[in-house]
Amino acid sequence: MLSCPAGALAAATMLAGLPAFASDTVRISGWGGSEVAIVNGLLTDVLAEKLAKEGITVKYEPVDGEFSQFIVNGLSAGTAPDLFYVDIFWARSVFSAGQALPVTQDVSGFAANLVEAFTYEGKVYAIPKDFNTLAVHFNKDIFDDAGVAYPSDGDTWKTLQEKLVAVHKALPEVDGLCLVPEYARFGAFALSTGWTPFDSWGKTMLDQRFRRAFDFYTGLVKSGAAVLAADAGQSWAGGCLASERAATAIEGAWIISALRDSAPNMNLGTVRMPKDPESGKRGNIVFTVGWTVNAASKVSKAAIKVAGLLTSEEAQQWVLEQGLALPSRTGLADNPWLRGDRPEQMTSRVIFEGLSDDHVMPYFFGKVGGSWMQPINAALNSVILGEADADTALASAQSALDRMLAN
Amino acid sequence: MARARSEERSGWLFILPFMVSMALFFVYAIVRTAYYSFTDFDLFKTPSFVGLSNYTALVSDELFLTALRNTIGFSLIVTTVQTALALALAVLVNHAVRARGPVRTVFYLPSIMSSAAMTLIFLWLFQRDGFMTAIVSIVLAYLRHILLFLVGVAAVQGALVLNARRRYEGVSIFDPFFLLVAAASALALVVACALAGLLPVFDNDLRISWLNTQQRFLFMPVTLWSVALMNVFTTVPTLMLLFLAGLQSIPNALYDAAEIDGANAFQRFRHITVPALRPVTFAVVTMGIIGTLQMFDQVAVLGDAAPLASRATLAYYVYENAFPAGASSRIGMASAAALVLGILTIAVVYVQKSVGVKERAE
Repeated sequence: MLSCPAGALAAATMLAGLPAFASDTVRISGWGGSEVAIVNGLLTDVLAEKLAKEGITVKYEPVDGEFSQFIVNGLSAGTAPDLFYVDIFWARSVFSAGQALPVTQDVSGFAANLVEAFTYEGKVYAIPKDFNTLAVHFNKDIFDDAGVAYPSDGDTWKTLQEKLVAVHKALPEVDGLCLVPEYARFGAFALSTGWTPFDSWGKTMLDQRFRRAFDFYTGLVKSGAAVLAADAGQSWAGGCLASERAATAIEGAWIISALRDSAPNMNLGTVRMPKDPESGKRGNIVFTVGWTVNAASKVSKAAIKVAGLLTSEEAQQWVLEQGLALPSRTGLADNPWLRGDRPEQMTSRVIFEGLSDDHVMPYFFGKVGGSWMQPINAALNSVILGEADADTALASAQSALDRMLAN
Repeated sequence: MARARSEERSGWLFILPFMVSMALFFVYAIVRTAYYSFTDFDLFKTPSFVGLSNYTALVSDELFLTALRNTIGFSLIVTTVQTALALALAVLVNHAVRARGPVRTVFYLPSIMSSAAMTLIFLWLFQRDGFMTAIVSIVLAYLRHILLFLVGVAAVQGALVLNARRRYEGVSIFDPFFLLVAAASALALVVACALAGLLPVFDNDLRISWLNTQQRFLFMPVTLWSVALMNVFTTVPTLMLLFLAGLQSIPNALYDAAEIDGANAFQRFRHITVPALRPVTFAVVTMGIIGTLQMFDQVAVLGDAAPLASRATLAYYVYENAFPAGASSRIGMASAAALVLGILTIAVVYVQKSVGVKERAE
């Protein structure tokens, strides 16, 4: 009866109590670039044994290009992977369409505001895998050459601005800060005043607190403290910092990998976002990505297991210690690696601290999505370029937001 | 009889692949799009009928109206300019005596670049303190030099032509030899005046927002004027080739006869070239209208480098609704906008066919 070798092997496996050979194959997908190294590293160096024990084979499909479109197309066509990344920016559109399964009940180990970001109608639809907040990154050598004190955790908008102006005065070819006219950076300043993007009626009011932050941010270029990234020939602030055109940049920890390639010898410092001098509080924006399971997956149980393994403490510790991404587990906040003095360690520590700033909001804007930012970005842009005054620009932005949120 | 039937069958067989692809990718797609435009489809839930509400929402959406205005303005400008330039270039290339091959190759080169790559290059050229700004800056700084040179050329050329015409007829106002002398004289005048300190140079530290601006110029955002320049640069070479093919099919005997009858170069161009090229011009204008009304890739590559209202076109509006950043797909709205774009394209082409350039040569 057991004359064929395969049959004999299967019987032996069952007798030995080992998992069946017919393993579940879980297709997983995330974006390309440096993420490929992270996921491949996890699958081969950290989790290979556990996956084998569970009888799960993982097929990894990284996507270069517009990942959200890839997923939306795949979900609508029934070809999406079993487990995939969701960015907080667009995750809700996948959850609300019933395309994701709740992934876990136990969220005790994860940062509360990251879990909240992925919670929809009381259920957690994605396990946060990592996150980022904003911080002030600066080139210590430029500050030394200018004879100006480094930015510090104690800085307010005003003291930081004074330092930036002083750098530009001492070294006219260098600007203090590299600026982008976008809510994705300006938002941290607006939030620090206590302003919230949506009030209790779901409307956006560009009130006096918003106006104070707006005037400060748009006034940075005119005061000689900052240069527009586009005017420095760059598409983002990290480019200005790498090219030493600007002494500081407000970005997340993603700047580390960019600087590693373009300015590996930079004497980098990182401090927390400056406080609003009036409220004395800090604001920040959280950018986070989670693993979610395709609701139509035929191997959803295995996919949930893989999601758990990919975000386990062991996996996140490995990711953290490679300096690749910030873990979403609070238990790793005291990891010895974060106390080191290397730039990536110092930056990661500050970014971690940003998660507990006074006013922190996820990079997410409800049903209207990224369109919500358009009027604010347009207002920032027109005032910084001198095409409109703040009153006109903000009145126009307010009426655009009112129209958008009227429905 | 049997032979005719066999030929007919062969004819149908030949067009079958085309008919299948048309049915699948055009007829089926357009019927589906029309159906979705009356629903609230979001790619996931079952579409439910919402009547004309997507269309009424379109009419009250300021971004749609902006996109519509931008698209029509862009199409008008780019189609006109690219047709005129392509014709002019084709005539020039057709008359090139020396190095005709290399000249044609050089003129055609911009067409072989991908529009995404060209857009990235233009993004660099259009930086606020980039190459385009530098050109404007130089023109403004040396404005008096340039004006004096132009006045000098006009004056010397005019004097030389008048003097020549007193002695014999038929001297062209653009006589190339006189032009050379006039340009050299005007240049010498400018250099002399500059050395004598009579021509001040205006210092300026210009920063022109070519792309990242909400300013408008005439009926179109400045951003789209910049995109139009980009589009003309990449499209003209292909259209030039079409005109060139048309030019080479015009019999030389017509030009010879006209020359014998005393027609000058402009008259030959006006009364022989332009009418003979009408079928090609019709094709070029029609292709131009369709291409510009559906322009998408260049504004998509621009991305956040320009404000949305300054770069929104109808095709981009469709995309924005199909894949809105951070929100659920609005396929109903996207389909309604796509149908409007399709109908607009057909209507404009029909109007151009009725009142614009005729299909047949005279």
